[in-house]
Amino acid sequence: MSKHPTIAEHLKASGVSRRNFVQLCGMLIATAPVGLSLTSKKSVLQVAAAIGKTKRPSVIWLHFQDCTGCTETLLRTSAPDVAHLILDVISLDYHETLMAASGAQAEAALRSAIAENEGKFVLVVEGSIPMKEDGNYMQLGSKPAVQVLREVAAKSAAVIAIGSCASWGGVPSADPNPTGAVGVDSIITDKPIVNLPGCPPNPYNLLGVVLEYVTMGKLPAMDDQGRPKFAYERVIHENCPRRAHFDAGRFATAFGDEGHRKGWCLYKLGCKGPVTHAACSTRHFNEIADCWPIGAGIPCVGCTEKDVVWKLGTFETVPIHLATPPDNYPPIYSAVGGVSIGAAALVGAVAGGLGGATYVYSQRFESSQEAGAERIEAGQDEKQLDKKSDRKEV
Amino acid sequence: MSTASLSNRPFGATKPPAADTKPRWERAVPVYGVSVITPFFIALAGLAILSLFLTVYREVVGLGPASGMNDKFGWGIWKTFNVVVLTAWGSGAFAVGVVAWVFGRKRLFPLMRMALLTSMLAYACGLCLLGVDVGRPWNFYWVVLPWHWNLHSPMAEIAICMSVYASIPLFLENIPPILERLWHVNVNWQPAIERVEHGLHKFFPIIVAAAYLLPAMHQSSLGALMLLAGQRVHPLWQTPFLPLLYVGAATFMSFACVAGTTMLCCLVWKRAMDMEVLDEAARISAWTIFGWLAIRNLDLLFRGSLFSAFHFTRYAGIFWTETFLIGYGGWLLLQSLKNHKTQTMFVGYALCSLGGMLYRFSPTTLAYMPGPHAMYFPSAIEVLIALGFASIGIALFLVMVKLLAILPASNQEWRNMAAYYKARKPAISRNKYLGFFGHNELSLSDKRSH
Amino acid sequence: MAITRRELITNIGKAGVPVAVAMTVGTQALQAEELTVPSEPLSLLYDASLCIGCKACESACNAANNTAPDISGDGLHQAPADLNVFTRNIIKLYKPADGSASSFVKRQCMQCFDPGCVAGCPFEALYKDKDDGIVHWDGSKCIGCRYCTIACPYSVPRFQWLGFNPVITKCELCSHRLAKGLKPGCTSVCPTSAVIFGKRSELLADAKRRIKNNPGRYYQDRVYGEVENGGTQALYLSRVPFEKLGLPEIGPANGPSSTLRWQKRIYSYFALPAVLYAGLVTMIRKNQKGHEQEAHEQEKETGLRAQL
Repeated sequence: MSKHPTIAEHLKASGVSRRNFVQLCGMLIATAPVGLSLTSKKSVLQVAAAIGKTKRPSVIWLHFQDCTGCTETLLRTSAPDVAHLILDVISLDYHETLMAASGAQAEAALRSAIAENEGKFVLVVEGSIPMKEDGNYMQLGSKPAVQVLREVAAKSAAVIAIGSCASWGGVPSADPNPTGAVGVDSIITDKPIVNLPGCPPNPYNLLGVVLEYVTMGKLPAMDDQGRPKFAYERVIHENCPRRAHFDAGRFATAFGDEGHRKGWCLYKLGCKGPVTHAACSTRHFNEIADCWPIGAGIPCVGCTEKDVVWKLGTFETVPIHLATPPDNYPPIYSAVGGVSIGAAALVGAVAGGLGGATYVYSQRFESSQEAGAERIEAGQDEKQLDKKSDRKEV
Repeated sequence: MSTASLSNRPFGATKPPAADTKPRWERAVPVYGVSVITPFFIALAGLAILSLFLTVYREVVGLGPASGMNDKFGWGIWKTFNVVVLTAWGSGAFAVGVVAWVFGRKRLFPLMRMALLTSMLAYACGLCLLGVDVGRPWNFYWVVLPWHWNLHSPMAEIAICMSVYASIPLFLENIPPILERLWHVNVNWQPAIERVEHGLHKFFPIIVAAAYLLPAMHQSSLGALMLLAGQRVHPLWQTPFLPLLYVGAATFMSFACVAGTTMLCCLVWKRAMDMEVLDEAARISAWTIFGWLAIRNLDLLFRGSLFSAFHFTRYAGIFWTETFLIGYGGWLLLQSLKNHKTQTMFVGYALCSLGGMLYRFSPTTLAYMPGPHAMYFPSAIEVLIALGFASIGIALFLVMVKLLAILPASNQEWRNMAAYYKARKPAISRNKYLGFFGHNELSLSDKRSH
Repeated sequence: MAITRRELITNIGKAGVPVAVAMTVGTQALQAEELTVPSEPLSLLYDASLCIGCKACESACNAANNTAPDISGDGLHQAPADLNVFTRNIIKLYKPADGSASSFVKRQCMQCFDPGCVAGCPFEALYKDKDDGIVHWDGSKCIGCRYCTIACPYSVPRFQWLGFNPVITKCELCSHRLAKGLKPGCTSVCPTSAVIFGKRSELLADAKRRIKNNPGRYYQDRVYGEVENGGTQALYLSRVPFEKLGLPEIGPANGPSSTLRWQKRIYSYFALPAVLYAGLVTMIRKNQKGHEQEAHEQEKETGLRAQL
């Protein structure tokens, strides 16, 4: 086998069944039906073929101020094969939690990983980076985290900031932020950075971005906060499975009440779904349906959003903004009433008939007059009438 | 029903007058020698029966499928035409009656029976159709229970007043021709009939005063109805004077109805027309029309609404049509006084009737603007029912005018009729209901007492 | 027609004086009479700027009043185009074609202080409660004349066009729920509290407070219903002009009571009609005497029975 085998070669050598691999590709398509050129308008086999031809990407994973949750999300899949699969598809050349080495051996591993794949590896950063006190709140091998990041990132091809901590600071950056924790893009400015906020984010977000990059050679389309649109374009509220309850006005008003038990909308309990960009509504966790906060009856806290999760109160309701209201509302004045042909014809006929009859009879007044019908003139004196008759007789 | 003589010489005396002396309208004479069942009558009866079937349909399925009424136009032609327009056109008992009996224009007396009959039929048909139009007629009994009368409401006033008027004073006013006929049918009934007649004469002022007061009230309330619609009635019609203008319109319209119908009947059944009476009616109508036009237009002017008549809108079009029809009709009536042409008079009456109908109809429908995109047009069933009920009125009129003494004519005409029936006596005893005089034979000495 | 003045006045006096006295007393009572305002009017305050058009109030209203939803549009979805016999409140959208600010509006009965429907209803089938001011419909007195649909300036009462036992439907502020201590259906479910329920005095104060705390947010800094149409119990706040939302600008002095004041005055205690009646009877009696005399003379001359 070559030093840098393709993914298909490696899987075969590792004994991973093709069926499992194709299933993984299927899950990848489900992750991003649109927004990733890798999966867009492709069949499963096409995706499998594309990925299979790709050389295993080298991934270096750095941990800073993290809880390792983002690593866990990668590993906590329901089917153990999938976790292995992910680790077989990507070549995780340095990962402090997963690798066996520690201490000086770990440092050496990092140096050799960087040297072997310089300019080609994808740097995944987990955790925020402290900036106060010259960044000495966290050190990696006696070097401040910020320095490590700069050195490693300089040699990487692209940086993926996984988790809210790496994206914008996350938990450590919550008020009062004593360590001055910031996200990756506050430090690195000269490399393409993809932010994958979430606490933790869905692992398929990471997989989709990495494979898109190595297979198609480009990063997916991103929004103004550097988040890939295929996963972060919409808010939770838009695709929430409980949306029908929201629309019908069925809300849980207290934990454990009837509405809560029936699975009604959690908006009144402070769900931040309407203002949180993430794909959790459609992609749940651990490949189990409803395995996500709202599915479990817990209102969304908005973990991807810097302005939401540690800024708003847990039970504080959020305003719901609609940029353009849809058109399925009745207008202020609706059209009502109409004319039927039959009725119009009938009315016309009646009007015409009456008008015609009036005209005809009015004409007969004229002719009856000409024919000398009896009329009694007003003002004629009887004496005159008698005189007239006398004259006639005569 | 005698007119004031032009001289003191008794007219006609006790012997039949010379054949070539011009008669006047001295009494009402039934239309004789004409069958009741004519093609026109059959057509009317057919329409009437059709409308009765359609009425059953309306009662079963509801007002929606049977009419073109909708949420924005809650009133259809049954209310706005058959009640608002036709009862005004047929309010001759009120208008002609007031002029003749209150203002003492005796020349109009010969027209009274025509006025009374047309009014009775117009109101009866209108009220029956009103019963068809309302959605919950079983609650109509509240008309006679005063404790829930809403005196604010013009609708209450109309419902109560029209019902009372049609069922009591108007009905009683129409009884004399029936009693008269019964008096001639059987000698034995005459004492009883004369007692009833005597009673009616005694209470005549009380009944008739009500018969003039009540229509004044409800014809004006028909106008007050649309006051509540406020800005939704176009400013060319909406005015606080609407009740007054509605009564005025009813006045000249009903004159047109009574005089015009009488003229038409005389034409069709070849009766002589007494121009002294008709000229008087025409003169009164014409001056009522001009007075009415003056009030209406001055009101528009002083309220500052007249300008909208000069915009190119359909409302301005309707306004000018009304004004032209009414004004030109009135002018023709005046012309007919000068040129002595009955045609001019008839056309004048026809035009001002049409104009008056348009005026009374407009604020309820044509000039009623409940909102953009709302429109109303009667459905075919609605038109047929309206026509049918009007046909019932016309058909009944045709029957009554032949059965009873309604249409005015000369005393000579009465004698001609008597001679006609005398000659056909054997035939009449077989067809008693068509003949005027059953067992009794008319002679010049047919009065029993006096 | 020579009636002597003495006769006319005597006759009128006999019948008319007591009546005229009644009329004077009546007129005085009328002048003192003002619009009776309910003792504790209950209100809805609807802030159109908070409404998101979720239509939860429409479904809740149907549920509260036990009415089937109106699916007459496509036979599947509840999407009435306007108020009707199934729909006592409705959300409409004002969306101008030029793209300027749009707004939702919730339309239901305004529970006016001077209701046109109550003024027009002939037999008091529509009546306004003296305490909470809710306008109710009583089927036992309604004749189905539909005058209320014409008299209401907001086009609220809706008639049932199908069936042989039609009713008039309109929002009655869920008075059956109020009796149980609940709130009206619509206000119970509004997610943004765009529509709230309470005493009119309190809601009016709340509305004014909102205007004060948010200068420039509301149209003309005005609460619709405070004085419009004589005052209504359904109050509105909006960002866009009220007329655009279908709420007509009716001045406070143009309510039904003032429109029909002459109707009421003329028929008050039937005084004026009674006086007129007395006058008519007098004049007719005079004319009748002359007429009957002439008729009898003619009868003698012609031998034909008089037609009187």
